[in-house]
Amino acid sequence: MARSGDRSDLLAAGVEPGPVREQFASEISDDAMWVAAARDGDRAAFGQLYERYARMVHGVLLSKVAVGDVDDLVQDVFLRALRRLSTLRETASFGAWLAAIARNVANDYHRRSLPEEPLTDDASDHEIQSGMSGGDQDGPAAEILEAVMSLSESYRETLILRLVEGMTGPEIAARTGMTHGSVRVNLHRGMEQLRAKLSVSRAVGPEQEKS
Amino acid sequence: MDTGNNRTENRPSTQSGDYLWDRSGEPDPEIQRLESLLRKFRHDSPTPAFPEIVRELRWPFFRWRIRLFPALATAAVGVVAIVAVTFLVYRTKPTPTTLAGWDLTNVQGTPRIGRKTLSAKEGTIRLGIGQILETDSQSRASLQADDTGKIEVGPSTRLRLLSMGSGLKRIALDRGTIHTYIWAPAGQFVVDTPSAVTVDLGCAYTLQVDDSGAGMVRTSLGWVGFKLNGHESFIPAGAACATRPKVGPGTPYFEDASAEFRSALARFDFEDTTSQQSAHDVSIVLSEARNRDALTLWHLLARVNDEQRVLVYNRLSQFVPPPATVTKEGILRLDQPMLDLWWNELGFDDISVWRHWERSWRGVSTSAREK
Repeated sequence: MARSGDRSDLLAAGVEPGPVREQFASEISDDAMWVAAARDGDRAAFGQLYERYARMVHGVLLSKVAVGDVDDLVQDVFLRALRRLSTLRETASFGAWLAAIARNVANDYHRRSLPEEPLTDDASDHEIQSGMSGGDQDGPAAEILEAVMSLSESYRETLILRLVEGMTGPEIAARTGMTHGSVRVNLHRGMEQLRAKLSVSRAVGPEQEKS
Repeated sequence: MDTGNNRTENRPSTQSGDYLWDRSGEPDPEIQRLESLLRKFRHDSPTPAFPEIVRELRWPFFRWRIRLFPALATAAVGVVAIVAVTFLVYRTKPTPTTLAGWDLTNVQGTPRIGRKTLSAKEGTIRLGIGQILETDSQSRASLQADDTGKIEVGPSTRLRLLSMGSGLKRIALDRGTIHTYIWAPAGQFVVDTPSAVTVDLGCAYTLQVDDSGAGMVRTSLGWVGFKLNGHESFIPAGAACATRPKVGPGTPYFEDASAEFRSALARFDFEDTTSQQSAHDVSIVLSEARNRDALTLWHLLARVNDEQRVLVYNRLSQFVPPPATVTKEGILRLDQPMLDLWWNELGFDDISVWRHWERSWRGVSTSAREK
């Protein structure tokens, strides 16, 4: 029986139909045009970039910092991008560049919060616990988000973009600059791990209630 | 392997994979459930107003030269090239982006912009659009914008800079206390609070907002407009006005009015739920009113019921007779031009100032909870 995370299965399915790729190819050309216009002082063009990329930035940050701080940091990311727009060499790579800024802002956030604890790529217990601080801490949604936050970084970022921000796999790839194959692997393996965690918590929950 | 008790373990990968990947194929109920529950955390903030972008200097010739540097270096002219590059890089540094905003100075403690704290040694830094200034219980700060005015930020305060346009400077006070001295033209400085919007009309005033979103404005110079959902109050120097979430501004009053007057007015504005209660409190306000409390009575005209309005009209007429062009019938049906003409007789200021600026910022969206 093929497992949903098998590499051959994933890579085989990684080829997108033409119209989807064409759609995102045209968006990349829009990005280049808006970046050029924003560099020339056109704030409306930068607003268009915000409209297109705000969900991606929000999702990347949500996978790394407390819910209550995400909205402020989204603004920080775009302001930082605005200041550094002149340093972007490949305008078609705006999404990947912006995602990198978002990850750096999240890292700065943790450095300021925990100056003596180096960050690792894997989720630490502290990060998982802090994920909900300052936000809605009750209910099944918070429990599910906490389960997502307990996954490894690449899985939780991709899953949050898909399940929280409502982006499709091709859209995640286009916005973050990741390859379709990477996004697909992260989605499948992350989802598999999330299902396992949720089924364990469903099984443990009633037993705890009984005891 | 299908265990029979976990419906997720044996899901065909093609079905769940397609839906997980691009929502094509048969929907996966569990993924749909997760999407539905998690969407509450989704990004939903509107596009903020970004600061002005200063056009960078562009030297296409220089960029062309940069691409040739490796070849030039291998051609043994490296030293010359490096000197040229050093010179040109120095000359073509992009002009830094200019951030519109307020200059922030630490007065006491450790005010913060976002997560950055401002120590007393750091002098002045810029609070930009979209940024958040917070002070703890031991901190105070000062904001100044040369073309707008000065704001003293008290302890335990959180404010956000919303816009800094040439015609409208807007901040949001989420909680805490600010003392403002505004020299921008009347109507250009606006503060959103959780329960009302204050519009500066050439003045100095203190605005407080508590954790529940309730607010209080005290005007020390000029006057302030306080507004929510068309419910508006004009607060001249020496007067105060409270505001409450979902209710909006109460009725302005002079703080030297009697305690009975102020208590009855507060109950009328925010507590009374029956016509009997409000009639009782209006009767106290009318009996306790002095000449200068015409300010309060004028505002009450539009807030009481028809029966009470006759009583308020009669009492206000005793203090400040209406001008000849204003009729009792007109006031009782709340004719706005007549109300405005009578206001102008009270001696505070010409209400056309307010009407002009009210029209000018009426179309501007507000972050106050105008729901």
